[in-house]
Parts: sequence; structure tokens; C-alpha cells
Amino acid sequence: MSFSTFVTDKAGLQKLYEAIISKHETYAPVEKFGKYDYKKVSSLKECDPDSPIAMTMSVKPLFFPRSAKIMKYEANSAGTNILDTDEDLLAGKRVILGVKHCDARGLQVLEAVNKWDYVDNDFLKRRANTVIFSTRCDKADTHCFCTSLDYDVENLDALDVAMVNGTNGKIYVQARTEKGDVFLKENASALSSANGGASAEMKKQYEAFAASFRLKMEYKEINEKMSKRFDSPAFEEASRNCVSCNTCAFICPTCHCFKISDEKIKDTGVRYKSYDSCNNVYFTLEAGGHNPRPAKYRRWRQRSMHKFVYYKERFGVNLCVGCGHCAISCPVNISIFEVVNHVAATPVESS
Amino acid sequence: MEAEVKDKIVSIEKPELVAPPDWKPVIMGILCNWCSYAGSDLTGTSRTQYPPNIRIIRVPCSSRVDPWFIIKALQTTADGVLISGCHPGDCHYISGNYYARRRFLVTRELLKMVGFHEHRVQFSWVSAAEGAKFAQVVKKVTEDVVKLGPLHLYKKENFNK
Amino acid sequence: MDYSKQIREIAAKLFADRKIDMFVGYRMNGFDDNQVPVVITDPEEVSALVFTEKSVFNLSNYLKADHTRNKRVGLVVKGCDSRSLNLLLTESQVKRDKLYIVGIACEGVVDDKGQKMQNCMECVVPDAVVFDEMLGTPQGKKEYMVNSDIKALAEKGLVERREYFEEIFENCIRCNACRHSCPLCYCAKCCIDQETASLYNGSNTASSAFHALMTWSLHLAGRCVDCRNCEKACPSHLPLHLLHKQNEKVIFDNFQNHLAGVEEGERGALYKYSLKDPDDFIM
Repeated sequence: MSFSTFVTDKAGLQKLYEAIISKHETYAPVEKFGKYDYKKVSSLKECDPDSPIAMTMSVKPLFFPRSAKIMKYEANSAGTNILDTDEDLLAGKRVILGVKHCDARGLQVLEAVNKWDYVDNDFLKRRANTVIFSTRCDKADTHCFCTSLDYDVENLDALDVAMVNGTNGKIYVQARTEKGDVFLKENASALSSANGGASAEMKKQYEAFAASFRLKMEYKEINEKMSKRFDSPAFEEASRNCVSCNTCAFICPTCHCFKISDEKIKDTGVRYKSYDSCNNVYFTLEAGGHNPRPAKYRRWRQRSMHKFVYYKERFGVNLCVGCGHCAISCPVNISIFEVVNHVAATPVESS
Repeated sequence: MEAEVKDKIVSIEKPELVAPPDWKPVIMGILCNWCSYAGSDLTGTSRTQYPPNIRIIRVPCSSRVDPWFIIKALQTTADGVLISGCHPGDCHYISGNYYARRRFLVTRELLKMVGFHEHRVQFSWVSAAEGAKFAQVVKKVTEDVVKLGPLHLYKKENFNK
Repeated sequence: MDYSKQIREIAAKLFADRKIDMFVGYRMNGFDDNQVPVVITDPEEVSALVFTEKSVFNLSNYLKADHTRNKRVGLVVKGCDSRSLNLLLTESQVKRDKLYIVGIACEGVVDDKGQKMQNCMECVVPDAVVFDEMLGTPQGKKEYMVNSDIKALAEKGLVERREYFEEIFENCIRCNACRHSCPLCYCAKCCIDQETASLYNGSNTASSAFHALMTWSLHLAGRCVDCRNCEKACPSHLPLHLLHKQNEKVIFDNFQNHLAGVEEGERGALYKYSLKDPDDFIM
């Protein structure tokens, strides 16, 4: 189903952003210490929706917060009262500007696990109430490989409005979902409709973009090979320089492990759901002291298998979206792409 | 002889925050058992008055005080912290207070750099015989903290006073 | 500064003589001129080892029990790296007879944009202080200079400093990468993560970041060697060196010009004392 496509230029785009920010609750990449993170903005001057692709944190915390209050309690002589937590500040209608395609795909991929055995209404409500505008990805960064995986980057409908560079300074603004279509009709009336040549120009841009990737993998082959290589000693080699620091899981667009913990003062307390990482030494440490995965290579195996095999088996979509954030932010630059290819290249262990 | 708050007092690190009219500072006092705590006991038995704003915690030695305690105190109810130990050379454990004084200096300077006024955390050597000195020390610290206003930096939320 | 060839030879010989189980060094990352750490157990992989001014990561981090428990390890250390290694030895975290240390007389390393790192420009101890063999000509100790960012901060007023640090603490995401990359953070369970003792357990605010970063920095005071592993690891690019360099300055100025890990067997500054330590700030 095709939705409307508009055309504008850099100046027109700035005006569109300004109009959106003035009318809607808007989040955009804000630079701090040389790194971009998504923050609420009240003017275009505070942010850079076309931020350089390499330096952005994922948009995931706006849907699955780094730390969320899920319950408050108060104990007194009569018993314990469970209280409502404060109003969910992320639940209102809002717009997010400058979201990478891979990042948006991450949100789409997470819908499956959030509708599974426990339906996470908070996540789904935030997803339903948000209009996502993409960045203009013109060429691949050093560590990304989105085009190699199992999703259609060119026509991605995980985001609501895609922005694609055309020729001669033209910028195409294309709705990819019904939500995006309605939003553009209401908010982008200043833009002109794109003519018939638009799809050819957009296709040309995509081809140049796809050709710019340093990293490419045969996804189906990798997925199949990985599923047979659980016992491969290659996991041990590949994980040796990991420092088990949690960074990759915290900034990944699709990692969703969390821990539940209480902060209490005397008889009142708050229960939090906060990010956790399966690479952490004490991940799922059990009461009684048993640690299910004390060895580093087991944790790395779990992580790579989950990203490339288990989630696909269970939900039909690959969990890793090929954004490369983990490799860029890792203190020792371990790339899951390298790990997975290394494992897939080893012979199958016969036990 | 309660330390009362008169006129408009602002939080010195955040001058936009005005203290409520009934604000009274809370000073956390961490005293070493053998000298300072005994000294404070003497103050009491001598009936020497000192401001009641101080809440005293007894530790075996001033070197027991981890900088973490000071951080926790500042992030909970304390507007100021006083740590007191034996005079150098008189430590019940011989050298505890020598380690402590190094730690105190580093902690105070770091807190100063990140934006705490230097009078928020103060230190003293009070011996078991110095009941009068203890009262003077508490009076000084309380007066200093009254001038600084309530502390509202990095407080743990939901911590009821 | 290029000792790639010598290091390959040394590592190859160590493996051939069966003196080590693993060698920790640097290799090219495979796509540009930057390097990443590598832990080699197979003598065939020795040819990947390199060492140039792009060899940044402090490899003594891999001597923590988590990574190389009970193994015989060969590794490459620059001046600052060797000082943290010295402290690990002093604090009984690793045995000297299980190590073969290749020390470098370091001329400074550069970041991924090719600019010399700030800690190298202010370096006092460039030559490795503990080693089994040394590569390069020792340059001797340099004069201590106060970190330029600390100097600039000291000129600012209280409220300005408070606002600046509030922004830093706001942007911490509590991923703990700083602790895991620091060679001297080896506590099996960090005090901040002890649920009964820590003020925070799950929340992620400026206050919880203040709690963690200040306590971490004060527990590291007198032991930090300014290798910048923490700052490089931080995904939010927080200027963590400000906290550590402030502690270092106070310690250097007040405690007999002490610098962490320079002498063999020497403990961190806060684990020693002098009868002449200043205490005029104590009533």
C-alpha cells in the first residue's frame, strides 16, 4: 500500500521541524560531550535531527526506559499498601525526529516479545502514540550491516515517515505507515507533493547506499550455520577480550533483558525495572549463589545465539538489526558481526 | 539554644531554592568511640549546651569512615556532616586517624570541585577530655550550615525527613 | 614508535619455550588504522601483534581474575599500564612469577582521530616501571603538571561548577563500563551494587550517577594511573578524568608528591600515611 510522498529542500525541512516542535511533544538527538542521545526539545536550536549516524544512542529508552518505576509500596501496622507510580511521562502523543532505520526496525522487532507471554502494554502504548521520523542515511558507517539481514531497509515500515535524499538538494519525505500519512497530511501542508520521478530518484539513492557497506553477510547461511554450532570452541576465542561491561546490551536497539529491584527506606519503597545485560558476570545470579553462566564464553554464546538464532526461531524475525552500535561503543571494539562470522566459519563439532 | 532560621535563607549551591521558614539543619556527626564520642559524653554530663541539630553515629575509629558514608549522608537527610576523631598520636588503634586525615582531605576537595560548599563536610580532633571543645565544634558547624542553607544536591528522592 | 616486530619475536619465543599460556597485546582492528586488544593462546596468531602509538587500551585490565585466573600471561605495558600492574601485584591480585612483562618506554598514544591523548601530554612516568624486558630508550620521569581541565574548573565559581557536574551526572546511563575497564576495579561485587548498603538499586538519575561515580573515584583515589580506559569505555563520553585528576592533584600536592604505582610494592596513597600530613583543615 503506498502512502503520500512529499518533496522539499534543506530549508523547507528546517521549517517542517520547527513547525512540528512548536506543535507537538518532540524528541530529537541532542549532543552532549560529543555523543547524541534522544531528549525532549523545545526548539530546533537545541538539537540536530540530521545528526551524524555514528554518534547516536538508540531510541529504545523512549519506549523501554533505562529505569522505570513499576510499583510503590508502603507498610504500616495494618499491612502493606501498593500504590500507583507516577504518571507515565512517555505515554503521551509525541514525535521523535532523526531515528536511524535500523533503530526503528529494532522497535518493530521488539513488538513480538512485548506481545508474548506477558503483554507489555506500556511499550505498546508508547509505540502506538509515537510518530517516528527517520534520519537521512546516505552511506554505511564502519560497523553497520542492516542490508544483509532479514528486513527490507528500502521500504521499511517500522518508522512512520522516511526521509531520503534526492538529487540537486531535494529531500523526499515519505509516509510509510497510515499513522505517518495522517500526520504528514495534518502537519506538512507546506510541502509539495513529489512528482512521478521521485521513486526513481529514491531507488537510485538506495542503490548507492547499499553499495557503500563495508560489512556484508549471507544472513540465511549464517543463521543456519549458527544454529548448528552451539558447541563450537570459536565462541571461546571470539570472546576472550570482552570485559563483560554491559555497554553493548545497554545501547543495543533490541536488547531487552531487565532486572527488578527494590529501593527502600524504612517502610516505604519503590520497585524498579531497569536494564540488565546477559554479558554481566552476575546476570541471573540465583538466590543460593548459583551462577548459570560463570564463564565469559558462555555469556557471549548466549548473546550471539539469541541475536541470530533463538529469537528468529521463536518469533520469525532476527533480533540483531545490524546497527553496529555495540562495536562502536565496546571498550575493546568487539563486533558481533565478526564473532558470528568467525563461529559460522568453523567446522561443526561432533560431540 | 536551637539554631533558628531567620530571614530568607537560600541553598548556597542552588541560590534559586529558598529554605522554608521552619527549616532546621540536620548535621550528621560521625564520632570515634574512644575520643570524640567520649568527649561528647563529657559535654553532656557537664551540662554544656550545644545545638540539637546534630545526629551522632558512633564508629570504633575515624578511619572506619569510608568516603562512601559521607556521600550517603549528604544524599539522604544531612545538610552537613561532621566527622571527629582522636588527636594525631592518640588514636586508640595507633594509626587509624593518620589514614583518616588523608582520606578526609581528598574527599572534601573532590566534593568541593563538583559543587558542594566546603563547609558542608567538616572535621575535628576532639579528645575524651575536651567536652567544651566538642560543644564549640558543633556550634560552629551548625552555624556554618545555617548560613549555607538546606542542601538540595543529588538527594535521594522519596527520602522523608 | 613501532615495536611490532620485536613483540612478535618475543611472543613467539615465549610460546616456543612454553613459558606462557597466553599473550595479551594489540592487533589491528581490520578496517582502519586503529587497534584493539587481543588475547592470544595459539602461537600461530602471534603475527597479528602490533605496537604503535595507536596501542591505547591499558592491557593490565586483563590480569583481573575474571580473565586470566591461574594462567601464565605475557603482556605489553606502557608507563601508565605498568603502574596499574604494579598496584595489582602489590594488592595481591596477580602473581609476579606468572607474568612475563614487556615494558615499553612510551612516547605517548593517540586517539582514533590521531590526536595525542591528553594524559600523554601530561605524562610523568612514560617508561614502564616493572618489566622483564624493556623496549625503547627510557626517557626518565617528567615534571608533574596539573591537568588543564582541572585548572580551568578551579577558576569557576561554586554554582557554575555545580551546574557543569550536574550535566555530567545526568548523562550517565549506569552501564558500569568504566568499572569493568578499570584495571584496579576488581571487587567481586561492587559496594554500590550491594542491595542492602547502597542507596540506589535500579534507578538511573543524576543522583544515582553521583552516588556511583563519586564513590568509585574516591575508592580509586591514590591508585588511579590515568590510563583513560574508563573514559574511552564510557558510551556517554563523560569526562571522567576530571574526578580522578582532581584526586591525583590533591594527593600529589599534599602527600609528598605521591603518584600511584611507581615503586614496586608501594601501596596507594590512601593506604599510607606520614606524620607530616596536613591537618590544618581539621578543627
